[in-house]
Amino acid sequence: MRNRFSAFNFFFLLLLMTVVIRLQLLVKTGLLLVSYLIFLLTDFDKAVGQFSFGLADCFTSLLFLAVIPLLFFSKKKKLSGFKSFSFSSYAVAVILYVFLFAPIIANSHYDFQKDISVTRLLSPFSSVKVLHLKTNGNERGQLNKFLSRKKEVVKNSFDEGVIFVDSFFVTETGVSYFQSGLKNHLPLSSFELSEGRPKTNTKLFLLGSDELGRDVFSRIIYGTRISILVGLCAVMLSLIIGVSLGFLAGLSGGIIDLLLSRINDMFLTFPVIFFIILILAFFGNSFVSVIVVLGFSGWMSLFRIVKGEVVSLKNKDYFITANQLGLSSARLFFKEALPVIATPVIVNTVFQFGNVVLSESALSFLGLGVGNEYPTWGAMINSGQEYLSQAWWMIFVPGLAIVLTLVTINDFGKKLAQYFNPRLHA
Amino acid sequence: MSLTRKNIFIFFLLLSSVFVGCKKESSLSNSQVVIAIPSDIERINPLFAFSINEANINELLFLSLVKHSWDKNEGDLKTEPMLANSWEWNSDSSSITLELRSDVKWSDGIPLTIDDVIFSFDVYSDPAVESYLYGSFLNFYTDKDSHIIEEKTFEKLSETRLKIYFAPESSPSLFNLDFPIVPKHIFDKMPRKEIATAKESFAPVTSGPFMFEKWEKNQAIIIKQNPKSFLHKEGNVGRIIFKVVPDYNSRLTQLKNNEVDLAEYIKPEDVGDLKKSDSFVITSLKGREYDYLGWNNLDKEIYKKNKGIAPNKFFSSVKVRQALSMALNRNEVVTSYLRGYGELANSPISPIFKNAVNEKLQPFTFDLEKAKTLLAEEGWNDKDQNGILEKNGEEFKFTLTISSNNPRRIFAATLFKNTLKQIGIEMNIEQLELGMLIDKINNKSADAWMASWIIPIPLDLKFSWYSNLATTPMNFPSYQNKELDDLLDKLEAKISKQQKNELYKKIENILYRDQPVTFLYWIDNVVAYNKKIKNIEVTPLGTVHHCWLWR
Amino acid sequence: MKRSIFALSCIKRAATSVLILFLTVSFLFVLVRIAPGNPSQKYLSPNLSPQLIEKVKSSFQLDKPVAEQYISFLKNAFTGDFGVSYNYHRPVSGVIFEVLPFTILFSLSAFTIQFVGGLFLAFWAFHTHKKSLDKFLSRGSIFLYAVPSFVSGVFFIYLFSVQLKLFPSSGVKSVGAFDGNFLILALDYFHHLFLPVIVLAFTGLPVYFKYFKESFEENQQKLYTVYLRAIGVSERKIYLSHIIPNSLNSIIAYAGVDLGILFSGALITEVVFSLPGMGRLAVNAIFERDYPLIIGCTLTAGLLVIITNLIADLIRMKIDKRLAKGLIN
Repeated sequence: MRNRFSAFNFFFLLLLMTVVIRLQLLVKTGLLLVSYLIFLLTDFDKAVGQFSFGLADCFTSLLFLAVIPLLFFSKKKKLSGFKSFSFSSYAVAVILYVFLFAPIIANSHYDFQKDISVTRLLSPFSSVKVLHLKTNGNERGQLNKFLSRKKEVVKNSFDEGVIFVDSFFVTETGVSYFQSGLKNHLPLSSFELSEGRPKTNTKLFLLGSDELGRDVFSRIIYGTRISILVGLCAVMLSLIIGVSLGFLAGLSGGIIDLLLSRINDMFLTFPVIFFIILILAFFGNSFVSVIVVLGFSGWMSLFRIVKGEVVSLKNKDYFITANQLGLSSARLFFKEALPVIATPVIVNTVFQFGNVVLSESALSFLGLGVGNEYPTWGAMINSGQEYLSQAWWMIFVPGLAIVLTLVTINDFGKKLAQYFNPRLHA
Repeated sequence: MSLTRKNIFIFFLLLSSVFVGCKKESSLSNSQVVIAIPSDIERINPLFAFSINEANINELLFLSLVKHSWDKNEGDLKTEPMLANSWEWNSDSSSITLELRSDVKWSDGIPLTIDDVIFSFDVYSDPAVESYLYGSFLNFYTDKDSHIIEEKTFEKLSETRLKIYFAPESSPSLFNLDFPIVPKHIFDKMPRKEIATAKESFAPVTSGPFMFEKWEKNQAIIIKQNPKSFLHKEGNVGRIIFKVVPDYNSRLTQLKNNEVDLAEYIKPEDVGDLKKSDSFVITSLKGREYDYLGWNNLDKEIYKKNKGIAPNKFFSSVKVRQALSMALNRNEVVTSYLRGYGELANSPISPIFKNAVNEKLQPFTFDLEKAKTLLAEEGWNDKDQNGILEKNGEEFKFTLTISSNNPRRIFAATLFKNTLKQIGIEMNIEQLELGMLIDKINNKSADAWMASWIIPIPLDLKFSWYSNLATTPMNFPSYQNKELDDLLDKLEAKISKQQKNELYKKIENILYRDQPVTFLYWIDNVVAYNKKIKNIEVTPLGTVHHCWLWR
Repeated sequence: MKRSIFALSCIKRAATSVLILFLTVSFLFVLVRIAPGNPSQKYLSPNLSPQLIEKVKSSFQLDKPVAEQYISFLKNAFTGDFGVSYNYHRPVSGVIFEVLPFTILFSLSAFTIQFVGGLFLAFWAFHTHKKSLDKFLSRGSIFLYAVPSFVSGVFFIYLFSVQLKLFPSSGVKSVGAFDGNFLILALDYFHHLFLPVIVLAFTGLPVYFKYFKESFEENQQKLYTVYLRAIGVSERKIYLSHIIPNSLNSIIAYAGVDLGILFSGALITEVVFSLPGMGRLAVNAIFERDYPLIIGCTLTAGLLVIITNLIADLIRMKIDKRLAKGLIN
């Protein structure tokens, strides 16, 4: 019975939860999408000018939310083999969920910060009073309507319309508010009002805030996304290099094989982290360069596996026949070799993925990963180290995220290996 | 099974004995001071005192002809005698006669003589040595390699009297004589090129109030009082340990645990915690370092091609730079990061130079509306309302480059990014490892960057503000202004202090008006030390100096 | 006969490794010089004259073409002179030899804990036949394997240094312990190195645990074990002189590579605890653009890997002999 509740059901549960909790946001996003489409039809040039990554991000998340359930229901039977996975598959579901729906889950932009004196180093579950300032938005025209909708949906790293305060009181002349001991005063007319008092609500910092008053929860969510993305891209690169070189070495043998194997040995026996640091420190660490360097340094095990498989394949009758029939190398590879080597390669890729995620966080910890541009776990721990005695959550939350992710990936890889080769679990 | 359990028990027994064995070393005697330094020094040789810690240690180990300290009231340097008992300028200050002490001996017993002094000038200016003063003896008679010409410069009047002649048209000062004298009998016997790596550069023969005791690499440098020194006074601090503690948090913890008695560069946010315990004196060294946000005044593409000079499409306009200065909420950094240990800066002339600084200048206030107006006047508008300003089809987007290991600048950059976005300027932040950052600024290939200058004392502005880019490599923003050049040139002539201060104020006005870079804030170096140390004077010249007076 | 073939292949492998190392170093030599930035940048300061920078550049030979620099480097390297470190102003070999004792002490103690601990735990889990224990250890090792050293390092510092104040958070010894006797000095070292060694050991412990366990399980099913049991050899003897040595054989090959990498690969732990080891030396050399030291560190790291590999091979030869003897008896 337990198996009935598979990871997919779990994933749906998560989706359902999201829909319930963030319904308002989803509806707004939908409306925004509609108004953007109308806008596109009426004034194409201006609409294109309004296009931004954040906007695209929100739309894709919404689309995924709509499309994924449909996809699953139509393919449900095919995928039922995976049912027996336990913990790891649920965790994979969570990671995938975070990866796809980050803009919907996170409650603010990862770089959002305002009024540092009030919001810095807040412990988990603390919340802060928010006052809303009046903004001079004129609601005329297609563009302005679109802009005001966009502002509600697409999270920004700033918001001039809010003030975070410790406390406030209304006087005859206006509103006095305190920000970590400092008293400020603004006339009542500059606030948005409800029943004669300034409109107020609270902002929850679920997992606390960092030294710049940024929400740790949002940063973790986006950090997961970045780490996974870097991992995926780097592993892809490793996969391409490892498989093609392995195939080449296995098929041609001789001097090429010897040369490639020696280079492979070198990469395997040398402290590669040293090279990685050197190259990133000397040539700069951008999103792309980190992926390239990690991708290039992770092809060794894939190369070995593919080469071994191809060498043994070469002696098989059907392969010899195919070769004699005059199939091109490319066709040999895709038609004959690929199906055989796929299984070990997939399993290895999963483990390699774990390694890359680990390496990236270690590099970010040293200040050489992608963490300088985006929030990543390693960079968060690095900056948390400075506030070790004051803000434990700054290292614990990302630390836990790394550990859980790596446990999941390794476990998933193991399960995958067992799935492909049930004898392993004798 | 029982065997393993027993083993575990024994292990824990051993472990607990370790804790008993390692008592806290808090009972350091009163005559010993432990100073935390963030990284090990490279050499103990005054010729190569490139870093501040090396310079500090060398000044304690080696005597100079004269020594300078800071006169708070005047806001200027004052000179005190050291090796030279007294001195006398000739009428047009083209030469000086020094009367030297005769009672000084090197730590190996050999007396320090005039020959050591002359040798020092020679060796410091020798191109083969590559000393830290190489190329800075501009006021002396030098050959084309900047090597001091001995025959023209020195006249030995007696065993204790030395006359030094300066080059014509120069404006020498006693500050030109303030550097540690090195032992001739040690360094004369080796080829000049090998001094840099000689063993005496690691275990020196000294002459100062302190002597070298021990250098545990990567751990500590220990120096002790020299009882034979004329500066020696019974009862003052007998030993100074410079302890290498690379990690800031460890430095702080060790300070609290009394394992360290003095630490510099305390973060302002930790001051409150230190004040609670009541056993520390917390003071700060003001006005030596300012952060600035540099705007590249040149078009980087054209400069890259053939070192061509063309205006930058964003930052060559004065109004745009003024607008940018208004759009940075510098005050928020001063209050929430520096927490009062710093103040807004108007120009590169620090408020510590009381007579040179123009106190009438008011810092640019944070005013987004005014910034927007200024930008609009220059033609920057957001016509398509996508949140980013544009002018002639070009959007106002640029990259700010900062070093990846400076939390203060990361903090400030994150804040500035947000406020600039509010007025429609998109600033990306690029964090680079320091070496790459310097390379980028040096090649003028950065749009904008944040860095700091530690201002030299005595005041010097020419090194970074003169227009000639070939002779002024440190004019990173490539700001060129003829008017400013004239003023800078005038400063080098023989003029009175009064006239100099007038010139400084004029220079300040120009830099303030043009904002070639946005001068952000002066940063205090917060120093905390244990109350048991008495008689420390923290001045703009530093913390670790005159240690023979510490009690 | 068989042994001599084995020895020959070992030597052949070592020789190719040396060749590869040479190529690597040459590659690095060129790479660091064509990269942006250069070591004379650190002399860019208002207090120093611009003339000095030019002087320094020419004395580092950086104003010459790379090919010329490379040839003069090769000439010197052939006589064992790898140049003078830009930052330490001493011969590179001297600087490296200074950190080498600590590096070896640090890595070897962590390695010993990994290896012996892995063996011990695997034996325990395998031998007691308690399902729950086995499961606990396996789960634990999977978890431990997923904890990066910088996470456990920072966590330990938080727990043991900041909160409990039991261990120092950085460094290798206290200033007071300069003149103490040997015992106090050793205790002081132990006190400082306890946390870092544990952190470093944790990174490899699960790997050895897994390898040993798998190897035990594999050997358990082998025919010779069944045979030995059948003829009545005691369990203890089967383990100590058959299963364990047999498992060791394959694992030692891995351990050889692993230890070699550990010598310079412990850099994250060294950075977290500010320890003066090879890894941190190398990273600092990279950041400071200390070209000769970068080359020196690369060379040393590579040589250490080659040496540990050779040692591992020798040990395997030795064990093989004992194994053969045991089987004959």
